[in-house]
Amino acid sequence: MAETKDKSKVHKLSIRGSAKLVSEFFEYSINSILFQRGVYPPEDFTTVKKYGLNMLVSADDQVKAYIKKIMSQLNKWMAGGKISKLVVVITDKETGEHVERWQFDVDIFGKNSKSQGSRKAGDNENAAPGDNNTPAPEPVEKTEKEIQEEIQAIFRQITASVTFLPVLDGDCTFNVLVYADADSDVPVEWGDSDAKEIKNAEKVQLRSFSTNNHRVGTLVSYRLAD
Amino acid sequence: MATASVSTPVKTHHGIFSSKTAGGRMPLTPSPNTRATPRASDESSPFTPQKADAGCEKPKSIYGGNLSSYFAKSSGSKSTVPKPSISKPSVPKTSVAKTSAVAKSSRTHRDSPKSNIARTRQSPKHLQLGVSDWSLTGTGPASSSQTPSKERSRRELTTRTRPTKTTVRISHNAGDRFIPNRTASEGLVTSGAAKPDDSQRPKTSGSEGSTVLASAASAFDISGRAVEDDLTAALDNLGLDDNEPPNYTRPAPDAVAYESSLAKACGVNLNTRILAFKPPPPESSKPIDLRAQYNRPLRPAKSQNAQFRRRVQTAPERVLDAPGLLDDYYLNLLDWSSGNQVAIGLERNVYVWSAETGTVSCLLETSPDTYISSVKWSGDGAYVGVGLGTGEVQIWDVEEGAKLRSMYGHDSRVGVMGWSKHTLSTGARSGLVFNHDVRIADHKVAELVSHTSEVCGLEWRSDGAQLATGGNDNLVNIWDARSLSAPKFTKTNHRAAVKALSWCPWQLNLLATGGGSYDRHIHFWNTTTGARTNSIDTGSQVTSLRWSNHYREIVSSSGFPDNSLSIWSYPTLVRNVEIPAHETRVLHSSLSPDGQILATAAADESLKFWKVFERKPGSSASASREAGVGSKAQLTKSMTIR
Repeated sequence: MAETKDKSKVHKLSIRGSAKLVSEFFEYSINSILFQRGVYPPEDFTTVKKYGLNMLVSADDQVKAYIKKIMSQLNKWMAGGKISKLVVVITDKETGEHVERWQFDVDIFGKNSKSQGSRKAGDNENAAPGDNNTPAPEPVEKTEKEIQEEIQAIFRQITASVTFLPVLDGDCTFNVLVYADADSDVPVEWGDSDAKEIKNAEKVQLRSFSTNNHRVGTLVSYRLAD
Repeated sequence: MATASVSTPVKTHHGIFSSKTAGGRMPLTPSPNTRATPRASDESSPFTPQKADAGCEKPKSIYGGNLSSYFAKSSGSKSTVPKPSISKPSVPKTSVAKTSAVAKSSRTHRDSPKSNIARTRQSPKHLQLGVSDWSLTGTGPASSSQTPSKERSRRELTTRTRPTKTTVRISHNAGDRFIPNRTASEGLVTSGAAKPDDSQRPKTSGSEGSTVLASAASAFDISGRAVEDDLTAALDNLGLDDNEPPNYTRPAPDAVAYESSLAKACGVNLNTRILAFKPPPPESSKPIDLRAQYNRPLRPAKSQNAQFRRRVQTAPERVLDAPGLLDDYYLNLLDWSSGNQVAIGLERNVYVWSAETGTVSCLLETSPDTYISSVKWSGDGAYVGVGLGTGEVQIWDVEEGAKLRSMYGHDSRVGVMGWSKHTLSTGARSGLVFNHDVRIADHKVAELVSHTSEVCGLEWRSDGAQLATGGNDNLVNIWDARSLSAPKFTKTNHRAAVKALSWCPWQLNLLATGGGSYDRHIHFWNTTTGARTNSIDTGSQVTSLRWSNHYREIVSSSGFPDNSLSIWSYPTLVRNVEIPAHETRVLHSSLSPDGQILATAAADESLKFWKVFERKPGSSASASREAGVGSKAQLTKSMTIR
């Protein structure tokens, strides 16, 4: 989806391309989390080069099909700009307790100002005193390389997070949630759900990346060791 | 009709599609012609020839093909000819369909020229079938304009394919009346397409309809050659999409208000729904322990350990007889010099075996009233110290085969000796340890008093700064060479006599000590702090310990019950190999100057050589001990013994 503008040689992403990039990021995120958190055995994963990293993706046919199903719908929603969050919840199979929750917040630039309002307020605290009146700082146009580097940093963080995340004892399973606009088309496989929040969760904000149209933040919350 | 024979590619797609599906649905009426070559029927002016067939042969299957061609034509607005034939019967249908638009469209159809009516009437059955199809395919809303766009017609066609199929079947059963057809077909439609609401509800929401159509259209476009799978997939999608709206119930207004206030209170955004992907994820093929994953070795444990891969010969390199070797744990009768000569004390004789030439010479024989209790090479390998049962210590020049001097002082047998440059330390049964400066007449330079029972282990550190002694009083003493009045540390951990002592060649302050039958432990000491750093329970009496110079390993020889040699990794303390070495307990051991071969002497009166630390080819001679020995040799060479 990258098209070259004549005036600048940098590749810029159209909104559709951006949505595609974001959902691709989600796919790799889900795979990485499944690997890093041991939802599936490590030998079920193979490495592929992506984002300048060796990404681990599932090689198990069932898991692949499952993720593919999720992604096919996610792509549609992303293309339609319907999604505000993607959440991967890791649940203990025995107790049914949610033990870990990976949340990816999606901001679409210029979509609805109210959801961004709070963030803006927060950002303004850091803004230089002179420009407090400027609204959302217009995202600087980034090259694909810059975006890839940002994504790379997130995956490095996800990988590194195993050092502080509690060890997951026992068998775990996972679920994928999306926060979609109320007017989204919802296929039968998807149903309303609660947020599957974790009680007494410790939350760690990880890095974010942004394209010219989307901004994706990463947050992991996990059950505090008792 | 012949005029209608011109068909665009799109039309042919339709034809293929519908005829195929229709054919598939009619098991009872196999029409090899039409089914096998649906396209052919279309290509060859679909209408006329088929009709001719229809009359006599298989109306239904052909019918499907006809329908599509009808459609194509009407949609293509190339010829309005087919419309009228269909339009008439469709009137009741469309009215039932509850959309005024449909009615209107049907009307438009009806208005269209009637020239063809006669033809269609010729085969009433056929006509009828066409009717039912038409009604179900819902020319209505889409074709409300007189000249519907091709795309629209396409959509309609795809969306209504199922009805087409079902109706065809019904018409076959039900004969020739519209109404039964319609009801029956509707029932089938609902069951088949699983979208009762859609077909029944008067107003399917515009957006929904459009998405349905759009997806169908897109699916159709993509399918290109009208692959049946793609189509069915598209249809499935349609079914899903259609199913969704009923699930979504719009809440009552006051409920909305309540919810919104509630949501506000909870900080939830009402405009978003949390959706979960409902199918359960696949089961993990096996339980996973993350801890194992995080510490996953790069290679499987079996092949990972270099020491495991190292093959240790378990057979001796060479076996020599050692007749008359005293079976006495407290003596030290075997030593291998830096000059590659092995000295062994056999009763009253000391023999020197040259490892290079294999020759044996008898160095000395004691007087008959005593016996050899210990032998020890000086660091340069030129002299050998010999301890006797009487307490006398002799120093012999091996090359000359001459005794250089005798040193007296001990009143009991000297079971152990150790050289540090020109200092010879001797441990005796009395528990006393003397340091002799062999260069001076008044040789006794220090008396180390600590042990209360026979001293059987004594080892200088390679730099001469510390001396370790072990005794039958179960003590390990570590002495500082600069202050010998009292041991720096006295270790009481062993529960049996300590004969085996060995200083680590690569870590100067690491000392390994092994205990006797009732102890069976190897302890590792930090001799700077006096702390015990590690322990091994070997399971048998430890008679000697030797560190490897180039592997991070230590070899222990053992007595009862194993009589074996064990090689341990350090600091993992894993036993890499255990070699059953002798028939009786291994009494003494000594490493070759290159550090590769261990000589062991046992009470079975044999002397065996083991290649326990065989160096890998190409590895550099890095033995710190050898270097130490070498430098020591240089030093001692220059000393003079009076």
